Formats: sequence, C-alpha cells, structure tokens
Amino acid sequence: MKKRVISTLLLAAGLAGLVSPAAIAADLTDVGYIDQSALGALPGFVSANQQLAAYKAQLDRQFAAAVRKARTDADKQRISMQFQQEYSDKQNELVGPLYQRTQMAIAAVSTSKKLSIVVDRRIVIYGGQDITSDVINTVRSPAAISAPQANSQPTSSIGFVDQSALANSQDVKTASDELQKYEQSQQPIYAARFKDARNDVDKQEVMADYNKAIQDEQNKLLNPLVAQTKKATAGVAKSKNLLLVIDRADVVYGGTDITQDVQNALNK
Amino acid sequence: MSRTRSISRRAYLAGVILATAALCGCSRVDVHSQSVRGVAYVRVDDAIKADPLYPQLQQLNDAIAAINFEATLPHAPLSPAQIAAQTRVLNAQLQAAQQRANAIIQSKQQSYEKQEHDADVAAVKAAGLDPAAAGLGQQMNATSQAQAQAAARAAQQGYIQYQRSVVAQDNAALLSIEKSLGKAADDKYRALAEQYQQDENDLALRLAQQDAPTRMSLQTKMNTLALSADERKSVTDQLNALNKKETDQVNALRAQHAVSLAAYRKQLSTQTTAQIAKQQAAIQSETNAKLSQRRDQVGAQLRGLGAAPVAGGSLPPDLRQRLAQIHQNYAAKFQADAQQAVVEYNQTKNDLDRQFEALHGEDVGATGAAAKQLQDLQKRHDALQAQIQAQIQRVAVALAKKMGFTVVFDNVTAANGGYDLTNDIIHDLESQHE
Repeated sequence: MKKRVISTLLLAAGLAGLVSPAAIAADLTDVGYIDQSALGALPGFVSANQQLAAYKAQLDRQFAAAVRKARTDADKQRISMQFQQEYSDKQNELVGPLYQRTQMAIAAVSTSKKLSIVVDRRIVIYGGQDITSDVINTVRSPAAISAPQANSQPTSSIGFVDQSALANSQDVKTASDELQKYEQSQQPIYAARFKDARNDVDKQEVMADYNKAIQDEQNKLLNPLVAQTKKATAGVAKSKNLLLVIDRADVVYGGTDITQDVQNALNK
Repeated sequence: MSRTRSISRRAYLAGVILATAALCGCSRVDVHSQSVRGVAYVRVDDAIKADPLYPQLQQLNDAIAAINFEATLPHAPLSPAQIAAQTRVLNAQLQAAQQRANAIIQSKQQSYEKQEHDADVAAVKAAGLDPAAAGLGQQMNATSQAQAQAAARAAQQGYIQYQRSVVAQDNAALLSIEKSLGKAADDKYRALAEQYQQDENDLALRLAQQDAPTRMSLQTKMNTLALSADERKSVTDQLNALNKKETDQVNALRAQHAVSLAAYRKQLSTQTTAQIAKQQAAIQSETNAKLSQRRDQVGAQLRGLGAAPVAGGSLPPDLRQRLAQIHQNYAAKFQADAQQAVVEYNQTKNDLDRQFEALHGEDVGATGAAAKQLQDLQKRHDALQAQIQAQIQRVAVALAKKMGFTVVFDNVTAANGGYDLTNDIIHDLESQHE
C-alpha cells in the first residue's frame, strides 16, 4: 500500500512536470509604487498650491475684465494665451523647485532600491515596493539630493505609451468628431422623448436608451481604432520583450517608453 | 472480487488526478514561467461590470445622466419680470440661509457658554473653592469674549465672502443686461439696414425697368454693322449716360441711407448707454442696499454676543489648568459647530448662486432640488462603486497570494505576457453571490 502511495506521488510529480513549461524565469521584483497624494500633502506643496490658488483667483478676475474689453475673437485668444502663460510662469516659480526636488528624490530612491519602474499607487492592486515614505524622508531631509548616475537604472520589462498622444491621431479625431455629431443629432430626439416621460422611471429608461445608442455608435466608430492600437502596442511590446504596457499617466519614474514605436506601427 | 478491483483502480486514478492538481497549484497557469514572471493584471472595468451589484450602479448612472440631461434641455426664455421675480425669491432664500446660520451660531455660543460655566463651577467646587469668590463670573465672561471673538471673525469672513459674491452677481447681472440691450440695438440697426438695402435694390430694378425700352433700342442699334464710328460712339455714350443716371440715383439713395443709418446707430447707442446706465444705477443701489443690510445684520449679531471684561482673579495653578482645559474643550466644540453652520450656509449659497447664473442664461447644469438630488445620487454612486472596487481588490489580493504572484496591476494598456486575473476574479465574485 505504502509503495502504491509513493508511486502515485511520483507519477503525479511527473505529470506536473509535463504540465509546467520548461523555462523558469525570475519573477519581476523591480516594480515600485508611490502614493502621489501623500506627496501632494507635503507642507511645501500645500503652501505652494494655496498661493497658486490665490494667484489664480486674482488672475481670473483680471482675465474676465480683459476679455470683456476685447473687441475681436483674435483679441480674446491673445488675452487667453497671455494669462495662461502668466499662470504657468507662476506655477513654475512656486511649485517648480519642490517638484524638481521630489523628482530627484524619486530617482535617488529608485536607484538605491534597483527599481526599473515606479508607478502611481492607484494602479497596483497587489505587490510591488511602496517607496512613498522613503521619498518623503528624502525630500524632507536638508541634505542635497545627488542625481543618479546615467545608466544606473535597470531596463524595465514594463513599457508605457502616451495614450493622449495616440488619441491625437487624425483617425481618432475624425471618429470623435463623428461621434460628437451623432450625439448632437440624437439629443433633440431623446429630449422630446424625455419631455414626454411621465415619471423618473420613464426618464431613466429614456436615458438608458440614449446611453445605449451613444455607446453603440462609439463601439462602431472607436472600437476598431482601439483594437488596432492595442494590437500595435502588443506587437511592439513583443518585439521589445516587454511583459506589459501601461499608460504614461500612471508612470512616475523609469519604464520603457514605446509611444513612438506604436505610432510608427500604426502609420505603417 | 473483480468489481472490488475495478473500484479500487478508479479510486487510484482519482488519487493521481487530485495529487497532480495539488502539485500544479490548483491553477492552469505557471506563475513563474518566462511569459508571466509573477506578474498579473486585472481588467477592473470588466470585473466591475460582472459584479452582481453592477445593475444597481448602472441604475444610479442612468438617474444621474437623466438629471444632467434634463439640465441641458432648452427651457422657455423668461421675461424680465419673471427674472426679477425669481431673483427676489433667490435673494429671500439667501437671506433666510444667512439668518439660519447666524441663529445657529448664536444659539451654539450661548449653549456652550452655559455648559462651560457649569463645568467651571463643578471644577471650582471640586477644588473646595467658592465659585463666586473664585471670580468665576469673570472666567465666564472671558469664555464669552473668546467665543464672541471667534464669532466676530467668522462673521467678518462671511461678510467679506458675501460682499464678493454680491458684487460678482451684480456684475454678472449687469453684463447680462448689457448683452441683451446691445443685442436688441444690433437687431434694430440690422433690420433698418436690411430695409434700406431692399429699397436700394427696388430702386435699381425700377430704374432698369423704366429704361429698358431705351436701352434695348440703343443695344439693337449697336448690333447694326452699318454704324459709322461716330454713330457707334454716340450710341455708346448714350448707353453709358443711361447707366450712369441709374447708378447715380441708386448711389444718391445709398448715401442718404448711410447718413440715416449713422444717425440711427448714434441714436441707438445713446439710448442703449442711457438704459445701461439706468440699470447700472438700479443694480448698484440694490447692491449697496444688500451690503448695508448685511452689514447691519452682522453688527447686530456681534452686539448680541456682547463684549466682556478680561478674566482676572488668582486661582491655584492646577485649577487654572483644569479651567483652561475646559475652555479649550468647549471652544473647540463651538468652533466645529460654527464651522459646520458656515459650511452648510456656503453650500446653500453656492447653489443659489448657480440658480442665479442659470437665471441669467449661464449653462450651469442642475440647480436647486435637482442639484440636491444629483448630489445625493452621486454620493450613493461613489459609495457603491467604492464597495464594488474594494471587493474586487480583496478577491484579487487573495487570489494573487494563493497563486503566488509578485505584483498585480490594474487596467493595463496592452499585454504581451503576464496573467490576466480578471476571469478568476469574476468567477470568484459569482461564486460568492451564488
């Protein structure tokens, strides 16, 4: 009986060996994440943002007064650009130095922990290394932060694409415009139905129909483009031996930027 | 015997299968393979859609969309009298909200003052002293003064905010009136200009019809080959003279119209400026009245709180510390309640401001009762979504631990490797709700 049990386990082990792939690679452990809201709560950022908000309120009033005096659309555009520039300059003046110090701290901590990529905490469900407190301590320390040496960062198996850049393609813009036109054409139809609705339940039903109509049109117009982009992104990821690709907006530091490669693949 | 052996063989095979499954880690995926490397990802949006609570979330989405959609629908334009009437209602509501906030702050101030006094008396008595001899009346006055100062600061801040918003509202109203009067003047001017244009066209046509036989005769002559050069010149001159006569008449009328139009524009501009100035004066007077009324209210409120002499008297240090502690405690409570009253007032005021903007033709979305409903629905929506996401997160973490992943990402853009954990999560969620 004992012999049979042993042989059963051996057979099972053999079968398990057949099921598992032969190649065993090292698991990915060089992914870090950071809670950006905690960084934003640093007194320096809070104070700078408060000053910036006060400046913006003042600027908004000046802007409204200037726009009222504008005679032409070109004047309005010029004024708008001028105020945007003023705001941007003030932002750089108030937040810029602390932002740069924070970036340096993230780079220094990442290098010391041999991380290949640091992402925003919101996109990590499990695992990864939380470097928030290390970065905060580095930012708070009075010592100067030295920039990490070039090429000191390991190559990442996680890539990223700038989705907003991809969304700027002519095809996407055309599809978005068409979708907008469709929405505008549907609104009066559903508005009429909405006015005839007798109660909230009827109204919600109209809304559900409206949303479905828009969703269907969106699927028709945009889904093929999304699928095409995903395919191109996956293709580039494969050629560069990347495991996953995430959105650039979620990347805080490091990673492999493949935006240009994906754009090239889409333009082929 | 043979049946027993057959059963035993089946049990043996079942054992082999179970043991194999156990060694494979209950999973179809090799977490540590070259293509996975301990990485997984979840399509959270899809997982949310598969959650049994998703239909409720969708219902809330539809309800929110319905309110937003309704707010964008065009409404019948209101007459100036209706706008004025509704503005009065809004102002009355704003005033009621101010009075409510003031009353709450005053009542809290009195209540905490009394509670603090009672607590002070108890503390002094516990220390074996006579509250009157210990100058507790003065202590109470000090409390009252501190609260009065806090209330004064809040009232002053509230007044400044009110002043800003009233000025901004009145500027918006004036702008709206300027726009409307400007548009009316433009419309009148355009109507006259179009009328003149029509008159000029009519004159040109009439003249052309009048001269048609003469022109026809001259043109016929021009087509006659037998004309001498002098004769041809004479006919051409006559035709040119005819054209010039018509053009001159039309130009004369046009010039006359241009003068009339310039005068009309000037007249309209003067009228519009006068109307705007009149409205501006009325609005400014209203603004001053509103601000003055509010200033009086704030003044009355502060006088009601009363000023008090500074606390004196010599108390033992530990009792002094205890009284300071009591004071701090009640001051913090009062501050929190006063703050809450101010927050609630500001919420009401913001909504009234938006209703005011909507009244003056601004697209500000849902207001009033609809805005309140929207806010409630949004809260419920966010809470439910957070609940669903938290559940997905719990399941994902449990699965990741069980399967041995090192990191799990949310919503990736594309995957060349890693393991898609979404279906496992959906399966788990479904089995939990079965």
